[in-house]
Amino acid sequence: MSTANPSVGHVSGSSVPPEAYVASLAGFRNMNVHRLGALLRHQSPQEAWQVALGQRPASGPIGKVLADSEVRSMWRRCADERPPAEIWARCVSLGLTVLPYGHDLYPAGLLDDPFPPPVLFARGNLALLAGRRVGIVGTRNATAAGRETARALGFGLAAAGVHIVSGLARGIDGYAHRGALAAEGTGRPIGIVASGHDVIYPREHRDLWEAAGNCGLLLTEAPPGVPPEPHRFPLRNRIIAALSEVVVVVESRERGGSLITAAQAVERDVTVMAVPGAIGKRASLGTNSLLCDGAAPVTGVDDVLTALALQHRHSAVIAADLRARPRGDDIALYRVVQQDPRTIDGVALAMGLTLVDSAMGLARLESAGWLAEADGWFECVGSPLR
Amino acid sequence: MLAAVRSATVFGVEGRPVTVEVHVSTGLPAFQIVGLPDEACRESRDRVRAAVLSSALVWPSCRVTVNLAPSNQRKGGSGLDLAIAIGFLAAHGQLPVAQIEGLGFVGELGLDGSLRHVTGVAPMVAAMGAVRPVVPVGNYREAWCVAGEGVRVANTLREVVDALNADAPWPQVPDGEFVDDEPPLPDLADVRGQQVARLGLEVAAAGGHHMLLVGPPGSGKTMLAQRIPGLLPLLEPDISLQATMVHSAAGVRLPAGGMVQRAPFRAPHHSSSMVALVGGGSTGLRPGEISLAHGGVLFLDELGEFAPSVLDGLRQPLEEGVIRLARARASAALPARFLLVAATNPCPCGGGGPGDCQCDEAARLRYVRRLSGPLLDRFDLRVGVTRPCVDDLLASGGGEPTAVVAARVTKARQRALDRIGMVNANIPASYLDALAPLHQEARASLRNQLERDRLTGRGYHRIRRVARTIADLMEGDELVLDEHVQMALNMRVRLSISSRERGA
Repeated sequence: MSTANPSVGHVSGSSVPPEAYVASLAGFRNMNVHRLGALLRHQSPQEAWQVALGQRPASGPIGKVLADSEVRSMWRRCADERPPAEIWARCVSLGLTVLPYGHDLYPAGLLDDPFPPPVLFARGNLALLAGRRVGIVGTRNATAAGRETARALGFGLAAAGVHIVSGLARGIDGYAHRGALAAEGTGRPIGIVASGHDVIYPREHRDLWEAAGNCGLLLTEAPPGVPPEPHRFPLRNRIIAALSEVVVVVESRERGGSLITAAQAVERDVTVMAVPGAIGKRASLGTNSLLCDGAAPVTGVDDVLTALALQHRHSAVIAADLRARPRGDDIALYRVVQQDPRTIDGVALAMGLTLVDSAMGLARLESAGWLAEADGWFECVGSPLR
Repeated sequence: MLAAVRSATVFGVEGRPVTVEVHVSTGLPAFQIVGLPDEACRESRDRVRAAVLSSALVWPSCRVTVNLAPSNQRKGGSGLDLAIAIGFLAAHGQLPVAQIEGLGFVGELGLDGSLRHVTGVAPMVAAMGAVRPVVPVGNYREAWCVAGEGVRVANTLREVVDALNADAPWPQVPDGEFVDDEPPLPDLADVRGQQVARLGLEVAAAGGHHMLLVGPPGSGKTMLAQRIPGLLPLLEPDISLQATMVHSAAGVRLPAGGMVQRAPFRAPHHSSSMVALVGGGSTGLRPGEISLAHGGVLFLDELGEFAPSVLDGLRQPLEEGVIRLARARASAALPARFLLVAATNPCPCGGGGPGDCQCDEAARLRYVRRLSGPLLDRFDLRVGVTRPCVDDLLASGGGEPTAVVAARVTKARQRALDRIGMVNANIPASYLDALAPLHQEARASLRNQLERDRLTGRGYHRIRRVARTIADLMEGDELVLDEHVQMALNMRVRLSISSRERGA
């Protein structure tokens, strides 16, 4: 899927496609959206590359940048470190599609962005960007309640066929995507990350990273090999905002990165919604202030579906449940846990069963996938038993 | 004139025989002690001189030299006072030398000539070998535990001298039955609800499985832990003697009967230092809490609050049942075979049910990471404890009383001992297939857990040992059934968010 598309620039006697030069330039130090945009605006990528190395005369803003001898020498060093052919080989081996601004497959939502990424690196199904998309973002330091909310929203929306755009960070982002993957509906995870495709961050989300690349879409502005530098995260957030139809902030502290996403969503006329939290709870300070500022509250999946103007009552795709239906007493046991999460003690008490019988029943339900256990508590998971 | 008196000092939990040689000669008046005495030992010069004078005996103006042999070992404590005084009196001719043959002397002297009890008498008497020990009255039961009927006691130096001069008989040893003055242990009947935790206690006691109680504040973790000693059988005679030695050496009060027979319960505070826990100190290597818990229970409340280095210090004794302390001048091996019971909150806020926790993920992870993985791995049982519900608290009837559960525990322990001669927690992995064969369904359940990455190889063996104990408690046959395995799995709560994802 990562073949060169000759719609941009031209291949002039070189074996590497023009995208390779863009990919290399994007990894230069002190390169930013504006400079890269200016470099590529009126010349082919290869010409831009030569300009950056001082082999061609520079004009306009780039001329001013290159007047600085430090930048000149740094970019020359960067060019040695990141030869286009090598960067291109890495993109190919990672299975990436390189999308310079203006490419046929370049996301339409970013074309008229105030700061469009000059180049994007994509892995997975770009067609997902034509579907309905909701961004779910929030703090990395989420509370258990916040994590569950993110998971439930991801699950419900994905089951309704909505793709989940998120940043693959720890906490809320990760749980929203886990929920989306668990739904096994038509909604897919769309991950927007800040580092190169081969620099997985955070490392414990390797599985999510792979899942997004394989059955969803994984998108980044950073070429392969670029580490997750702090300044890249706010930039990543603008892509999340631009590619979402609605941005839902699940939990955020008073100065969280997700508030940046929300602000950028407002700039782009994207609806911002927030999950209300208890006042005084630190993880909800940011979301509550969004609500004060006029964001719509989210009390369930339906609120988001309504904001998308989707008919929520009929939207849920009922996938065939492959789990073995519980039998006999296990159904009653499931109903008890459905009311409230319980410990095995609680189940034994509520059902009047012995510990051993409760343990056996819970184990059957758990191995069939109806319940999940965490810290000694059993909770219902997946779509409820009908 | 020269006299030699037998006595002993204590090092670690072992006594070391010491021969106190006293030489009295003409010369400039002086009183010297040689043979590496420590500060307390050197100060005995002043105590001995005052006690001799107070006892209406004579202190001459001559040169007195005391040698503590073997003279290359450090001697500590005040237990040598009596031996030094007796040695001096014999060397000076105030006592017949022949009379001190076959006797060993231990005790501290007061300035008024009274005899005070000292710590570590049990190991000292054991070290002195075949002599009749003369000890302060307060140390009688300890000495009796080791030396039996031959023990002599005295209240003052004068009494000892009179008895040796045959002017008076030896004072009467304290007699009569020693009533057990220990307070009754807390009873399990007080615990409301907590079915799983109760079973956990029972399994821990029956199989010797180390247990971690995980639950929010107020859920009764400490209350539960305090009830384990009541479930353990009385100590075996050899363990009882070792425990008595340790208690004696550490100067911990012994029961009125002399011997430590009940399983000890030690609950050091989480600010305890490494030395307090494992033992040590510059002189004498005092036994630490883990040795005092020998044969019983070491309870560490708020496990996460202990210094990580202190907790890691527990790993070797947990494995070997012995703590080997080495110092520049000496080393000692102290017994430390204990049942480790620990309690911790699931997270900094104390948590509760799903959704109750207000902690953010990073704080939660940080909290759990304080408990090092290798230590967590040594808990066969990780039992979740929840706050009892209102119905349970108000219900009139309590649960089963300790006596009933203890009877089951004793039976199950016996089954395990008959099988291989050790408690189930110590079964080597290679013997598990023979001693804890799995029913087909049980095997399938475990396979399922392993395949879902929810059990590690080591966890697998631990679950099998616990299941073996549960089967023993339920008086099943030799085959371990699925229900036993399921109960064992339920008593292995996984801590932390990340382990939920990765499998633990």
